[in-house]
Amino acid sequence: MTSNNMEYLTIALPKGKLFGLSADLLAKIGYTAEDLSEKSRKLVITNEEKKIRFIISKTADVPTYVEYGAADIGVIGKDVLLESGKDVYELLDLGFGKCHLMMAVDKNHKRAKLSDYAHTRVATKFPHIAEKFFNSKGMQMEFIKLNGSIELGPIVGLSESIVDIVETGTTLRENNLEEIAFIMDATARLICNRVSFKLKFDRIHQMTEDLRKILEMAK
Amino acid sequence: MENRDMVLEIPYGTRDFLPREAAGKRAIEAAIAEEFNLWGYDEIVTPTVEFLDTLTMGNGSNLEPHMFKLFDKNNRTMALRYEMTTPIARVAASRMKEDKLPLKLSYISSVFRYEQAQTGRQCEFHQAGVELLGSDKATADAEIIALAISALKKTGLNDFIICLGQVDFINGLMKQCGLSSKEMGKIRAAIENRDLVGLNAIADKADISDDARSMVKEIPLLHGNREVLKKAYSMVNNEQSRKALDNLSEICNLLEAYGVSEYITFDLGVIRDFSYYTGMVFEAYTPELGYPLCGGGRYDNMLTNFGTDMSATGFAFGIERVMLALERHGLKAPETQRDVYVAFAPGREPEAIKAVQKLRMAGEACEMAMGPSTEQDAEEYRAGKGYQQLIFVK
Repeated sequence: MTSNNMEYLTIALPKGKLFGLSADLLAKIGYTAEDLSEKSRKLVITNEEKKIRFIISKTADVPTYVEYGAADIGVIGKDVLLESGKDVYELLDLGFGKCHLMMAVDKNHKRAKLSDYAHTRVATKFPHIAEKFFNSKGMQMEFIKLNGSIELGPIVGLSESIVDIVETGTTLRENNLEEIAFIMDATARLICNRVSFKLKFDRIHQMTEDLRKILEMAK
Repeated sequence: MENRDMVLEIPYGTRDFLPREAAGKRAIEAAIAEEFNLWGYDEIVTPTVEFLDTLTMGNGSNLEPHMFKLFDKNNRTMALRYEMTTPIARVAASRMKEDKLPLKLSYISSVFRYEQAQTGRQCEFHQAGVELLGSDKATADAEIIALAISALKKTGLNDFIICLGQVDFINGLMKQCGLSSKEMGKIRAAIENRDLVGLNAIADKADISDDARSMVKEIPLLHGNREVLKKAYSMVNNEQSRKALDNLSEICNLLEAYGVSEYITFDLGVIRDFSYYTGMVFEAYTPELGYPLCGGGRYDNMLTNFGTDMSATGFAFGIERVMLALERHGLKAPETQRDVYVAFAPGREPEAIKAVQKLRMAGEACEMAMGPSTEQDAEEYRAGKGYQQLIFVK
C-alpha cells in the first residue's frame, strides 16, 4: 500500500515519549492530520489534502519501516537507530528526547576498574551497541537481552551491570546504581528511506529545511 | 510446538524458484542477455568458488566477514563469489591480458553474501551486469549507463531514475576545504553511511572557513537536473572537482545522443564505496521498492591490485529486485508459452508420440500425457494446466 508511493509522503512515528514531541514539531511545518493521536485506533492516519500519511508504530520498528520503504520518513532516537543497524538516511538531529547511553553497576559492589567487569553479565536492551562498546575496550561480556526495566538486572542478581539510556539519573539513584562508563549521547533523529530521498528529493529536502528553521528559532 | 509433518529446511538466505517464478526469472535474464549481446558484450563465466585472498584483494577486508568460506583439502581458505567484478578483473588481468582492448564482458550469475536477507536479496541472489575494461573515456561511462537503462527497459520496467554522481568531485572539494586526512576519512564514512547529521557535525567541528563548512554540508543536497552541475561548478574552484563535473557534463551530452537523458538525475551525493570507485558512480531507483535496483561506476584502480593497470567501468543489477519491482508495478514477467496438451486412448502411445514430436518440430510447446485417459479427463487436465489446445489421439 504505502511503500514508496509517489503521491503520498508516509511518516512513521514511534509510540511513547517521542510521539507527542514529534507530532508537535511536525505540526509546526504543517505536517499533521486530523485525529493524529497516539491512542488512535487507526494504524494509518491520512491527510488527503496534503498527501501525507502517518503510521504509528512501536519504537523499535520505526527504522524497519523506513529501511524497507514502507515509510519514507521516520522519527527515532539515535540509540534505537544505531542498535537497529538499518541502512537509512539520517537527515536531521531534532534535539529532543535527549538522553545518553551508559553502563551502570551496583553502587555497593562497585569494582575498581571497568576492565574488572570483563566476562561478567550485562543486562541491556541494546546488545549491539553494548557489544561494540565493550569490544572497543577489549572486553568480552555475557549479554542478557531484556526488553524493559533493565535496572532490575543487578538488583535481582541477573547481571553484574546494565547498559541502558539515562535521562536524569533518577531511576539509577533510586535503584542504587551508579554510572561507571559513558557510551554515547542520543537525541531524536529524522530518518529517511534511501530511495525515497532520491525519488522525492525536493519534498523531503524542503521538509528538512523547514524543520531546521523551526529548530534554530527555538534555540 | 506441535510436531507437524517433516519439513525439509533449506539454509538461511537461500530460496527455491518454483516453476512460475523460475519462468519469470528466465524471461528477464533472456531479455537482458539479448540486450548485452546487442551492445557487443561477451558473456563470461567464472567459478562460483575462488580463493579468499583473490576475492579480497584490494578493498576486500570490509567484505571478508560477509563471505561464505570453506577450505580446500590443503586448508587454503576459499570463498563463494561475493560479486562478479573481482573475478572478472582477475580474468582480465591474467588470462585475457593479451587480448585487444577494450574488453566488453557481461555476466548473469548467482552471488553470495552472508548478511541479513532483505528485500529482493537473499544470501544467494542473482546479478546481471557488464564490465568495460581498458577505456578511460567518457564514451565508456556513457555506454555503461545507457546500457543499464536499456537493459532495465527490456525487462519491462519503465518507471525508474538513474542518479549520477562523481567521486572525484567530493575528493577535490574536501582537499580544497583544507580538511585533514582524518577529517576526510570521517566525512567519507558519514556520506557512505548516509549520516547527514554526522556530516554536519564533522563540518561544524573542523577548523575550516565558513564557506568551506557550508560546501561540505551541501554535498548530499546537490541533486537535480543539469543546473546542479552549473551550481556545483560555481561552488568549487579546484581542478579535480571541476574535471569531475566536466566529465559528468560530457557523459550527459553522450546520454542525450542515446536519447535516455530523461532518466538521468544528477546527484553528487550518490556514493557507493569510496575505496573502490574512482570516477562516475550511479544507482537506479524505482518507486515501490525501498532499495536501489542497480548500481555501478568507474573503478580505475582495481586492476592494479591484480598487477595490470587498466581503467574499468561497469554496473550490476539484482535480478530478484527487478522481479519484485515488476510485480509491485503490476507488470507481469512474460508467461511461459503453453500451446498443446497431447493425450491418447489406450494403446495409442506411438501415434501420440509421433503427433507430439511433429508439433515440437513446428515450434509448439507441448506436454504429452504419461498414460492413456478419456478425452474428458484429458480436457480437464488441459484446462487446469493452461494449454491452449488439446489433441486427443483416439
